[in-house]
Amino acid sequence: MRGRRAISAWLLLLVALHALVLFAGFFAPYDPTEQDRKNPYLPPMRLHFVDSQGHFHARPFAFRLKPREGSFEHHEEDTTRALALKFMVRGANYRLLGLLPSRLHLFGAESEKIYLLGSDAYGRDQLSRFLYGGRISLFAGLLGAGVTVLLGLCVGAAAGYYGGWRDDLLMRIAELFLALPWLYLLFALRAFLPLAVSPLEAFLLIIAVLGAVGWARPARLVRGVVLSAKERDFVRAARGFGATDRYLLRRHILPATSSVLLTQAAILVPQFILAEMTLSFLGLGVPEPVPSWGNLLSSLQQYSVLVSYWWMYLPALIMLPFFLGYLGLGSELQERTEPFKIGR
Amino acid sequence: MRPARGNCSARRLIFLLPFVLAPLFNLPTTASPPQKNSNEELLVLPGEIGRSGGRLVVALRAEPKTLNPLIAIDAPSREVIGTMQADLVHINRATQLTEPALAKSWKISPDGLRYTLVLRRGLKFSDGYPLDVDDVLFTFRVYLDENVRAPQRDLLMFDGKPLKVRKLDSQTILFELPKAYGVAERLFDGLAILPRHLLEKPYEEGKIGQLGALTMPPNQWAGLGPFRVKEYVAGERLVLERNPYYWKTDEKGNRLPYLDELVFLFVPSADAQVLRFQSGETDVISRLGAENFSLLSGQKGDYTMVDAGPGLEYNFLFFNLSDPTQKTPAEIVQRQKWFREVKFRQAVSAALDREAIVRLVYQGRGTPLWGLVTPGNRRWQDGKLPHPARSLERARALLKEAGFSWTTASSGESALIDSGGKTVEFSIITSSSNADRAKMAALVQDDLKQLGMRVQIVPLEFRSLLDRVTQTKAYDACILGIASFDADPNSDINVWLSSGGAHLWNPSQAHPLTPWEAEIDRLIDEQMYAQTFEQRKKLYDRAQELLWEYQPMIFLASPDILTGAKKSVGSFRPAVLEPCVLWNVEQLNFKNNAINAAR
Amino acid sequence: MRYLLRRSAHAAFLLLGVSLLAFAFTVLAPGSYFDEMRLNPQIAPETIAALRSRYELDRPLPVRYLHWVSWLLHGDMGFSFAYNTPVAPLLLVRARNTLLLSVTAMLLAWGVALPLGIWSAEHLGHLPDRVLSWGVAALLVIPDLALALGLLVIAVKLGRLPTGGMVSLDFETLSTFGKARDLLLHMALPVAALVLSVLPLLVRHVRAAVAEVLVAPFLLAAEGHGIARRTLLYRYALPAAANPLISLFGFSIATLLSGSLLIEVVMSWPGLGPFLLEAILARDIYVVIGGVMLSTLFLVGGNFLADLLLYWADPRIRTETSA
Repeated sequence: MRGRRAISAWLLLLVALHALVLFAGFFAPYDPTEQDRKNPYLPPMRLHFVDSQGHFHARPFAFRLKPREGSFEHHEEDTTRALALKFMVRGANYRLLGLLPSRLHLFGAESEKIYLLGSDAYGRDQLSRFLYGGRISLFAGLLGAGVTVLLGLCVGAAAGYYGGWRDDLLMRIAELFLALPWLYLLFALRAFLPLAVSPLEAFLLIIAVLGAVGWARPARLVRGVVLSAKERDFVRAARGFGATDRYLLRRHILPATSSVLLTQAAILVPQFILAEMTLSFLGLGVPEPVPSWGNLLSSLQQYSVLVSYWWMYLPALIMLPFFLGYLGLGSELQERTEPFKIGR
Repeated sequence: MRPARGNCSARRLIFLLPFVLAPLFNLPTTASPPQKNSNEELLVLPGEIGRSGGRLVVALRAEPKTLNPLIAIDAPSREVIGTMQADLVHINRATQLTEPALAKSWKISPDGLRYTLVLRRGLKFSDGYPLDVDDVLFTFRVYLDENVRAPQRDLLMFDGKPLKVRKLDSQTILFELPKAYGVAERLFDGLAILPRHLLEKPYEEGKIGQLGALTMPPNQWAGLGPFRVKEYVAGERLVLERNPYYWKTDEKGNRLPYLDELVFLFVPSADAQVLRFQSGETDVISRLGAENFSLLSGQKGDYTMVDAGPGLEYNFLFFNLSDPTQKTPAEIVQRQKWFREVKFRQAVSAALDREAIVRLVYQGRGTPLWGLVTPGNRRWQDGKLPHPARSLERARALLKEAGFSWTTASSGESALIDSGGKTVEFSIITSSSNADRAKMAALVQDDLKQLGMRVQIVPLEFRSLLDRVTQTKAYDACILGIASFDADPNSDINVWLSSGGAHLWNPSQAHPLTPWEAEIDRLIDEQMYAQTFEQRKKLYDRAQELLWEYQPMIFLASPDILTGAKKSVGSFRPAVLEPCVLWNVEQLNFKNNAINAAR
Repeated sequence: MRYLLRRSAHAAFLLLGVSLLAFAFTVLAPGSYFDEMRLNPQIAPETIAALRSRYELDRPLPVRYLHWVSWLLHGDMGFSFAYNTPVAPLLLVRARNTLLLSVTAMLLAWGVALPLGIWSAEHLGHLPDRVLSWGVAALLVIPDLALALGLLVIAVKLGRLPTGGMVSLDFETLSTFGKARDLLLHMALPVAALVLSVLPLLVRHVRAAVAEVLVAPFLLAAEGHGIARRTLLYRYALPAAANPLISLFGFSIATLLSGSLLIEVVMSWPGLGPFLLEAILARDIYVVIGGVMLSTLFLVGGNFLADLLLYWADPRIRTETSA
């Protein structure tokens, strides 16, 4: 029973996190593409309850940040200028779930912008970018992983179960896919695509490309498992009793692959989100100024950002629970589907 | 033809006289150090006296591919070759003016057709072989040979006719140009004089292009530069050692270069270069990005960071103005109608926030740009070019005049539409490997959003981008940067001329498409053959003004040249011309040998 | 014997297919090596056209492919446009450096991943496992490049480790022991970065595979017989869980040449990574194809080894094949 509870806990966590991302328009205080050219690389504003005179306020507030004397990059709090945090404010236009037009935001501040996670090189709000970015990246990751694992399962199971020339052929093709210079293929692919790709098209492309590229690896893993599973005694026995291929695959063999598949899937989701960085390099990723987790993380690949602006790490840190959620769910599910499991 | 030739030889005699006498007069000033052979005509470099010895370590972005100047086209190879070879006349990277090098003096005939150069006497290649006029003749024969296909050949062709080279006596060479050339002796800069004793045989066997691989034994290669090959480790480093026969000395008569060794490390990533500089593994650093420069400046280290001021790199936005072909996608042809509208381009230019680009992309270490000639090029910049501040009102007015109007799009934002009611949407391609330009693109995109234009940024890997711009012409607009290699206008000739390959908005045209392009062609052609600087400047200014008026290139900004060196490096004087840091490599030295020995 | 023949046939098929496709891609990918010259104001378009025709870039694909195959049969992998020399020596010297790095890293990674994964499986769902999961997830989120950069930053701060390259400048003057020490110091950072980048995947797989067999009846029975925990885990559980791990090991071998690309670039390791990356971006096609063929050879080798291991480790497959 512990397993089931753990699964629901992980599921709950994931649902909550995804809701945050799904309703990004509401939770994010600003338009993620809006530039504030006076405030590039602004550190996160700290929320205060006690002002400079020592008075307590129930409503949290932040101080405006101003550049420190004689410095371009360092900021300090201007304690004379407090920005009170307001809840349920009207702000930038957005469409809830892409449908309902709305202007309501969970929080915001009057007159000036408030940056809880700091701002990026163009003065865009990192928090808003993180939330909006999750929409594209999480779905790209999930769908990409799904496509890859499904393709890998089909091919791997067919190859492992039927064996013979079918196995040979499928595995040779899989090897071919593993050996190909993908970067080159993507160059070629880019040449045939129209230049202006909308974020949605880019997102579909990412899935298609990643799915197509990635299936060979799980396929080989699955094949290995199927090969040994079909030689297990109970499978042989079932076959002896005249079980059909479909029955055998469904009841005995595919369940045996679930452990490998779930492990793969749990790892693939974050990997695919990161893979977008490589694709962006080729002009196949999510285009500016649309945020994605891939392009949020890719700013960390610059040495100057890495050592000068610590708050650029924050998105990576907040992504952690998401990935942990997937990994956790993956391993719990794996325990549950374990074929040999005897009540413990 | 005939009378001209007679004329020429008569004149030659007259202006040769001073050169025959010159060495005699020069002798006292170019007095060789006592221990040196007295008939060596060495060049004395003014400047601080340095200490001999030490090893300077520099990082290169990529491996040099070859040491052979006849086939080298990539930047790292050229940088390395620059320290191993020498030219007849050299452009001083600091003053941007020419100065004597292997040729101790030169004279140009009044009609600008004949250049007489006098070679220094008694010089030797890095392997100890003497240099003579025949080496020079051989060099130019090879450069001009069509079968060798040296990139230098195109420089030496004038209207399809080659430069002619003749030996006058054991020290004097005559260069005859088919047409007078305004750039004059700058022509000789960078043309390395090759060792005939090593290369003549391979040349006659047709194998000269195969020489110069880095793996070649050092004793099979020689040059006239301050350094020669010592060791090459594939993928890791190239070690050069001091050329003991180098032909320059300091004012005290010490033979240059000061350094014993010059090491090029191959460090492919810009950030890794910064880290290795920071950890003290390299001694100098150049081509720094503004962010890394601030980072290094902000930290306490044993180094000094130098902002050498605005360089010669110009970054610009341009629209696809090429003649549509059968293969050009229909939607691009449609959009070209907007792009061809001068007022549209002027409006785009007016709407761009160049100050923000300098501030956000270069952290203030750059200059906003309104023309092709950057402030780093002091002699050639057109002072009359207007520098209007950003004005969305003017941009809107221009668009209105051109028949554009605005509607409210479904998203609630205002959208620009043309007279046919079509929304103005296009994409801008940039090189994905250049973070600075990608940033510029994001700012431009946001600026144009204020005008209601919907712009997509498409970062492309560089070859794909070039293929689109120069070959398939399947693009709307592009942001690119070009760094002139010399301050002279002729360094950008391929950008200006409508027949040029880098005339990016419509490259390699058979005939100029528009009257203003024809006019620019004429101006540039005329300045190329004009005689005086004032004449050339006037023509060149006019060309710059035309470019501003028609805005085929919308200039954005120019970055400063940012460099750094360890405090112990002496004579470190970065210039804005390439090679910014190593241009005076023969003078670089270590002030304190104790530090150096401990490394 | 028959098995070996079949294997070689597979390998030949694979090499042929990969070379054909790699060739096709080089043609489809836009641009050519000589395109960048077009921007160079000093070079006339005719010069570029002449260079293109000299290197047969203007010939149709099948002709070029057949030429390439005929070179290959003469032991020549083609010609690098950039270096103006044959490809093979360029590749081999760098492949050696890459292998030195990646083999060390692979052995180390497996050496760490096996005990970690087993340990984690043993404590499945308990605190040690949870902590490890967090660590693994954190490693997954960090981009390889940022990981490598981060290690370099630490090295600069400490000032003990070299921040790039393979050996010091005065390597030749060192004693044998000094040379070994110098090389090891230079390897420390890239190896660490590589191990950290592949570790999450390996640990997850080992953990999953071992966790699966730990609850199998035969192991429960063995546990009941009072066999020591260590013996149980390493002598019984690990071999039983070997199947998917062996396939994974095959992959590790297959990616020996290509897996360290980015880290080599950041750490300026003189291997295939920076070299091939530059060649790909510059469209130095024969270098790229040469590199691809070389890594295909490793793939073939990895598969072969994995099959052999599988055959040796899994008695059921053994009986089937011999039957």
